[in-house]
Amino acid sequence: MLSTGAQSDSNIEVHRYYSGTVLIVAFLSLVLQAFLHKYGRWAELLDLPLLVTIYFGLSRRNPVTGLLLGATIGLLQDAVGHAYPIGMYGIAKTCVGYLASSVGARIDTEHPVSRFGLVFLLFHFHQAVLAITQRVLLNHPAPFFTLQLLLDSLVTASLAVILFILLDRLRRSS
Amino acid sequence: MPDILSRHRPLALLAAVILVQVLLLAFQIKREHDVRLVRFWAVQLLTPAERVGTWSFSRVSGLWSGYIGLRDTRTENQRLKTEVEQLRMRNRELESRAAEGQRLAVLMNFREAHPEAPMIAAQVIGASADPTSHILFINRGERDRIRRNLAVITPDGVVGKVVEVFPSSAQVLLINDKESGVGALLADTRTHGVVKGSSDSNPHMEYVQNDEKIQPGESVLTSGEDRIFPKDLPIGTVESAAAGNPFQVIRLRPAARLDRLEEVLVLLSQQQLAPHKPEEASSAPPAAQSKQVGVSPAALPSAAAQKSPNRKSNFTVDANKAKPVAATSPAPETAAPNGSPAAGPNPPAPQR
Repeated sequence: MLSTGAQSDSNIEVHRYYSGTVLIVAFLSLVLQAFLHKYGRWAELLDLPLLVTIYFGLSRRNPVTGLLLGATIGLLQDAVGHAYPIGMYGIAKTCVGYLASSVGARIDTEHPVSRFGLVFLLFHFHQAVLAITQRVLLNHPAPFFTLQLLLDSLVTASLAVILFILLDRLRRSS
Repeated sequence: MPDILSRHRPLALLAAVILVQVLLLAFQIKREHDVRLVRFWAVQLLTPAERVGTWSFSRVSGLWSGYIGLRDTRTENQRLKTEVEQLRMRNRELESRAAEGQRLAVLMNFREAHPEAPMIAAQVIGASADPTSHILFINRGERDRIRRNLAVITPDGVVGKVVEVFPSSAQVLLINDKESGVGALLADTRTHGVVKGSSDSNPHMEYVQNDEKIQPGESVLTSGEDRIFPKDLPIGTVESAAAGNPFQVIRLRPAARLDRLEEVLVLLSQQQLAPHKPEEASSAPPAAQSKQVGVSPAALPSAAAQKSPNRKSNFTVDANKAKPVAATSPAPETAAPNGSPAAGPNPPAPQR
């Protein structure tokens, strides 16, 4: 279902991908994220599963598909990592997938600047949901905003512009 | 509700997915004291409801036990009060009977201690209406072999003598009555005299010479010379002694509690009360046995309780100062098989 996509009622174009593309990309992002963590702290600046969630949410422009994709990627990320109990990233990426799909259904997200801005904002939204969840459920005083997070968001948004161009190539021509 | 869900399907799905993941987290996360979050939430959710339920139940229970369940309490309270009053009366009756039983037990012990002297127990049923005369009525009369001039005693000492006999009752003249006279002697000096009643409630001992040294507390016993009272029964103790003209004025304290008499013993003969404590007599040293004659103090239980500093005992007569009582009292009267005392060689003479 995720790979076949669905028609949007809006005037904005809904992109389609080859069968299995979404699953494979999501899987690769998780593997690469786990792989990169072995090579230094700089890898923590990146959150590839988040970028994949945002990209397909913006492209598919279907909130249901977006939140389910975000939930799946987030739960798998929780399962692979050991930092949080299963569900912390799941909740955050569910919200991000839903929000990205909703935003993507209303505005054009093909321009690099708009992509940079959206990823920047969605990164902080993801971090805010994560912090709220940690504060409420784990009683951890997780920060909402730090300079480190600002740097992370800038790096991630910059990388997202490049990554999204590469992922655009996987689109099926209509 | 289904319309709202279908209209906002993505939002509802978002909420459902988040809720599922929150529950998933709640099953994993542990709070303080190793309690899982889902259990903590469940307790937090259910505790107010349980608290409300408990409060409601206690209110209903209190209403039941405090009002509805007490509708018969007034009746039950009245019934219990009545029952308590009845039980109090019953208790007082039993206490009275117990005290009476104790008094009768003392009389019985005294009677059993002196099988040689026929006697009969009697209950005091009345007293004289005249405050100046000291007279009692007992519930024994002719039918009980009571006759005039029989001695009336208690285990404490002499009470008086029978002055009138009726079929089922008798009149007793107490020793503190002005008309009464009892042959007496001082236990220590063996000085003889007569105990007579006086205007006050205590009797006096008369006809004792002024040169006799008499100490307060000295015992006064019956001398047996009146042929009514057996020899060596306790009459009382000397309360005060003063020189008089021509005899000393000796005030006595009666051995028997004359103002609180309830049961008495009527001696059916002038048979002297012999010592009766074979176990004590056999265990006593031979020297002590040789010095003790007459009636043992143990024979009359309360006589031993009357302490006096300068006397040995109410019924112990010093052999150095007096002739042995047993040897001088030949027991002129004996009880007849039918209970009536046979007349002795010296029939009792009335003293009034």
